[in-house]
Amino acid sequence: MTTLNVRVAAVEQVTELVKHFTLVQQNGQPLPRFSGGSHVVVSMNINGRNHRNPYSLMGSPDNTESYHISVRRQEQSRGGSVYMHDQVTVGSELQITYPVNLFAISKLAHKHILVAGGIGITPFMSQIADLNRLGQHYELHYAYRSPEHGAFVEQLREMCGDRLHCYVESEGQRMSFQQLLSQQPLGTHVYTCGPDAMVKTLLLTARDMGWPESHLHSEQFSAPPIGDAFVISLAQSGIDLEVPGDMSMLEAMEEAGLEPPFLCRGGACGRCELEVLACDGALMHNDHYLSDAEKTAGNKIMPCVSRASCQKLVLNI
Amino acid sequence: MQRGYWIRSKPIYGSLVWQSPAAAHLVIAAGEGGIAVLKLFQQMYPREPIQVLYAGQPKTGRDYAEILGSTVPEGLQICNSEAELLETLKTQLGNYHMGTQFYVAGPEAFLWQVMKSLGQVGVQDADVHKELAGTLARPVYCVHCKTITEAVHHNIFSCSHCGRKLFVRDHFSRRLGAYMGLMVDAEQPGNIPKIEEVYP
Ligand code: FES
Repeated sequence: MTTLNVRVAAVEQVTELVKHFTLVQQNGQPLPRFSGGSHVVVSMNINGRNHRNPYSLMGSPDNTESYHISVRRQEQSRGGSVYMHDQVTVGSELQITYPVNLFAISKLAHKHILVAGGIGITPFMSQIADLNRLGQHYELHYAYRSPEHGAFVEQLREMCGDRLHCYVESEGQRMSFQQLLSQQPLGTHVYTCGPDAMVKTLLLTARDMGWPESHLHSEQFSAPPIGDAFVISLAQSGIDLEVPGDMSMLEAMEEAGLEPPFLCRGGACGRCELEVLACDGALMHNDHYLSDAEKTAGNKIMPCVSRASCQKLVLNI
Repeated sequence: MQRGYWIRSKPIYGSLVWQSPAAAHLVIAAGEGGIAVLKLFQQMYPREPIQVLYAGQPKTGRDYAEILGSTVPEGLQICNSEAELLETLKTQLGNYHMGTQFYVAGPEAFLWQVMKSLGQVGVQDADVHKELAGTLARPVYCVHCKTITEAVHHNIFSCSHCGRKLFVRDHFSRRLGAYMGLMVDAEQPGNIPKIEEVYP
């Protein structure tokens, strides 16, 4: 996959847990253009092992001088976000993929309702730049834990004016999805990004109210969970590989020098899908891509986030 | 008619069935589409508000306005023509919100005229339930002079505008709401295959 070599031009501590990184090309050239809602995958070399995490681009798509990403520190994770927080400073050099958009605003929508929870605000920041430029009708509903955790609220107020609605949990302000979604004009689309429970509840509520699937948009990147080690057997290349507990199948294949395809590395896009030929245990699906029926059928798996509790998993690759 | 292969753009219509969940139901029908509406009302009614817009076609098919009047418990509005129905629809669409389920029944040209009005307020094609009723006559777009001839019954016909002999394809444009018509004797002028009525 073609990559861009970037340098960190600035680091800003936005809240206690969120850092904002400004990235420029090492060769001084402008960066490729992108559309609101796009993400890039950042490669990090942590103790000799290559980690790659997806982050949404939150700058204005008009700005090709620099890209902007924000990282929330997740202590309970495999270390990507902690590395970004502790090791990456002004001048650090990183490799990123070209931007990919899995969360674009709909061209058919007449009104856009954006619903963000916590760090899930980031993809909306580039979407809002697009919506403003296109003069589209939108509202942003942003929920966060407490006033100190409200990342980018000032900037958002400037961008959105009274279209911004904040919900501060510590002050007992809660969003009612039911209320938010009722009496919306035909042609309204809803977009959501944030914690799993929030995204799921919002989508369920919308479906329950008769909203068609085509008007619902969500983006969730899962991090690959830690689990037990197992072996994958790659049927086409005849290779057996050990997947350690703290590595995903995708990472294990990359570590072995293979280049399986991916776009999001967060179980959202489906690009990495592999066919399961045999498994002597249970598949543990962690993606948001396969339907429940496909997960139960058990003949497909997303190696970027899913794993198996088994001795050996045979994949058609 | 083309057999033996599947054309992606050709719409596939179903039978109207109440959809749930829903916030409201809007049923729009013309001519023989009245039968589809009567069939809907033989199913268990949903609890949400229902509105029915119907235009009879007194000249061609049967007019179901009267039977509908005694079957549809409330929310029935009868229009005198398809044109009047489409006008009424436009003025009323603003009252509907997300969560409304849309049902359309009638001849193909009517289905896509309704879709045009719905599309203008952001309702997407795939989210509207459609039933083709009555005639199979096709609206056909002449790819040469770019006009649409309504109600074509034959495999080959003369374009209402440029007079070319057109062969009716299965390729359908949702934007135009019409099938594509291509000149049939472009290669060998005057060489016209047998003309048959295939869209009664
Ligand atoms: S790379 Fe997107 S689902 Fe695996």
